[in-house]
Amino acid sequence: MAFSEIIDSLVRIAGRENVLTEDEDRRVYSYDATSQWKAMPDAVVFPANTGQVEGIVRLADAKGVPLTPRGGGTNVSGGSVPIRGGIALVMTKMNRILSVEPENLSARVEAGAVLMDLQGALAARKLIFPPDPQSFLGATLGGIIAENAGGPVCVKYGVTKQYILGIKAVIPAAGRAVEFGGVTVKNVVGYDLVSLITGSEGTLGVITEAVLRLMPLPAARKTLLALFDDLPKAGEAVGMVFDSGTVPAKIELLDNWVIRSINRTAGMKLPENAAAMLMFELDGRPEAVESDAAKVMRVCMAAGATGTTAAGNDAEALSWWRARSAGFAAVFSAAPTVLAEDVTVPRSRMPEFIRKVTGICKTMGLEVTVIGHAGDGNLHPSVLTDQKNAAHFEKAKIAVDRIVEAAIEFGGVLSGEHGIGLEKMKFMRRTQDPFFIEAMKQIKKTFDPRGIMNPGKIWED
Amino acid sequence: MKTSGSLENIRKFRADVEQCMKCGFCGYFCPVYRESRMEKGLARGKNQLIKATLTGEQGLTRGFYEAIDNCLLCKTCVQYCPAKTRIDRAVTAARADYAADAGLPLAKSLVLRFVLPNRRLFGAALRFASWFQHVLPGSGGRFRHLPHFLAALGAGRTIPEIAPRFLRSLLPENNPAPGPARRRVAFFPGCAAEFVFPETAAMLVRTLNGLGCDVVLDRRQGCCGAAAYFSGDFETGRRLARKNVSALEGYDSIVTGCATCGAGLREYAVYLAGDAAEKRRLEAFASRVADFSEFVVMLLSENAGGLQLNPGFEGRKATWHDPCHLSRHQEIREQPRKILKAVAGLEFVEMPGADRCCGLGGSFSITHFEASKRIADLKAESIAASGANLVVTACPGCIIQLRDAISRRRMKVEVAHIGELFSVKGAARADNPG
Repeated sequence: MAFSEIIDSLVRIAGRENVLTEDEDRRVYSYDATSQWKAMPDAVVFPANTGQVEGIVRLADAKGVPLTPRGGGTNVSGGSVPIRGGIALVMTKMNRILSVEPENLSARVEAGAVLMDLQGALAARKLIFPPDPQSFLGATLGGIIAENAGGPVCVKYGVTKQYILGIKAVIPAAGRAVEFGGVTVKNVVGYDLVSLITGSEGTLGVITEAVLRLMPLPAARKTLLALFDDLPKAGEAVGMVFDSGTVPAKIELLDNWVIRSINRTAGMKLPENAAAMLMFELDGRPEAVESDAAKVMRVCMAAGATGTTAAGNDAEALSWWRARSAGFAAVFSAAPTVLAEDVTVPRSRMPEFIRKVTGICKTMGLEVTVIGHAGDGNLHPSVLTDQKNAAHFEKAKIAVDRIVEAAIEFGGVLSGEHGIGLEKMKFMRRTQDPFFIEAMKQIKKTFDPRGIMNPGKIWED
Repeated sequence: MKTSGSLENIRKFRADVEQCMKCGFCGYFCPVYRESRMEKGLARGKNQLIKATLTGEQGLTRGFYEAIDNCLLCKTCVQYCPAKTRIDRAVTAARADYAADAGLPLAKSLVLRFVLPNRRLFGAALRFASWFQHVLPGSGGRFRHLPHFLAALGAGRTIPEIAPRFLRSLLPENNPAPGPARRRVAFFPGCAAEFVFPETAAMLVRTLNGLGCDVVLDRRQGCCGAAAYFSGDFETGRRLARKNVSALEGYDSIVTGCATCGAGLREYAVYLAGDAAEKRRLEAFASRVADFSEFVVMLLSENAGGLQLNPGFEGRKATWHDPCHLSRHQEIREQPRKILKAVAGLEFVEMPGADRCCGLGGSFSITHFEASKRIADLKAESIAASGANLVVTACPGCIIQLRDAISRRRMKVEVAHIGELFSVKGAARADNPG
């Protein structure tokens, strides 16, 4: 069957205006937010409802055409890049918030709903969906679930999987949409396939709807800064904060590179020579937030901070968090190619690990920034390099290998929140038990016997 | 694949083109993407296509043009871009390279498809065309530079009547202040004020008079050229820029009540300079351009006088719509609000999303009519949510678009230019002289 017949079938399913095949239309679905992965799909289709997704999945399955689901394309793993060509299944037009149920603390959404739009709708009812991947302005719920994404508040609230009650997904083996889980927080009926599909990176089926678990919007929030003259010392302070019995909502680590960047771009007047800064957010009842804030500042000073300060009001806090986002973003455009890792180590090992990372890069003569979500040990050591400079790029890749190995050695994991996709695939065999990879392959066969769903991801064939 | 032309302009703005790190955060802000949800309409998608021309992967194809044409140049993406990518520059440069390579099909087809079939509009267009031929020597009777508001004619819009008398016949060239003058300023009405809203322009001139300015409507000035060069017609843009700069660079201040003209005049230096000396000249010119609100606030801070509300607006609940060409292109946000809050008799309320684009985007409103209308509907919802019965702004294009959206929804809300609202205390009344 010629591909043109597949296109005709797609047009019959989704309508002429929702099937794109021109060069330019395919080119803009060849990338995600990583700097190095690129592959063009042969066709792009925008389904309008689950029924159309069923039709598309059945078609792709019957014809053995690779099918790569995609939301906002904000992921940083190469996961939504259609590396084997075929069909890019773009969920962005299925973007409705179907219902919000305050009495159940739940909401039902279509997969293409953008997180920020959801948060806007929830805020009006004093509710929140806690997971906060920092791509919230473009990321869709389907993608967030498929990547089991996390962000700063995961210190206190956990990652996406803790907030998914149910998933509707079109499974190739079933040839139709299947509802997994339900709407209740307690549900121990058989295997937890909701958690399995969460984080499956589009390799098992196409998520079309989800039931989300919500929380009440915290009554108060407070933002604090603590400055350090030594990067690992900031890591030690994090452990001491938890030891003091306080669980902040966010603890972000910024290094000297980012501090200077923030001073330039956001006009903040932080000391240019500070080696590290921790940014805390505390949330909860106003009285508790105040006393916790005082405690965190005391603990940081005891840990050797050179100074601490609290945001005077919400507007100032917001401007600090915006500066932090911009500072992190600046890292990713600091060099032609940035190899940003997503390793996560136990909090207690973080100071040692930071020393190790800066040591590796220093010995190799490479520039590195160490930033990340210090509260949960999830760091993004980012090595600045240039893909076009072969020698330098090779050196940078070796450094990244060593960083990853060090993380594993310290009892950590390869990826905390970005997922494996293409970016971290090469580390899988080296770092994981062979049975784990084999089990994943078998599970995939059960869901997707012909291997059409996002092929070429997570493990190397 | 079609060969890529010289890519002269894309190369010139290479730093902007390569700044994007593909995070996709623009998806939340881009009004075009929020309607289409297709990446080719998104700032990131356009940027990646433009970037791909530099490596030869992407030609200056029709599909490429569709992508770069599908942009309002509202700069909302630029405002929020974490990498501070100036995508508007990449897009404008790409339009220019496409125009140089393939020619712009746009304006001609506009006239053919929308204006000519409509007898009433045709008559108006003829009047326009004759005027343009007069002020734009060498345009050869082609309609490539037709400005925004003409593009909004047709296509089922509610549009204002063409004024019975143009501004030139309403006001003389020299309009002296009633008392001793503190300043001599050039007033740049722009095409919309000349032909569609001349009475409003006359009120702006009277207000400036009242605040102690001798106002000159220099007869040598022409269309600002923004509609032409923002669409990629740099040749026409250059011709108009040179005409306006030589006519007006002798004045200390060039004041305009049109947000688009203000942006157009100020951005000559960004796109149109032929060499370094001309760039300096255009930058010096840009530094003399002032928006009406900006200028009035400056005059008031010098105790030039006070403003009083025209009686027709007494007791109204007013909200401000930020034109993209004013807020993001010229960074003017506070001044108009300052005026609206200070004038007694008016209640000021902020609408949610006051700086969200109204969706006109010049010829965008014709070439992407449905999307333009839907974006305008969102704006109308914001206005309704504010509870205001008066929307104040400073862009004739926005005024046309807002009036259209409001009348389609049968809302009881008036749209006014900020210059229509008040007169100067103690000075001659700035009433409609026509």
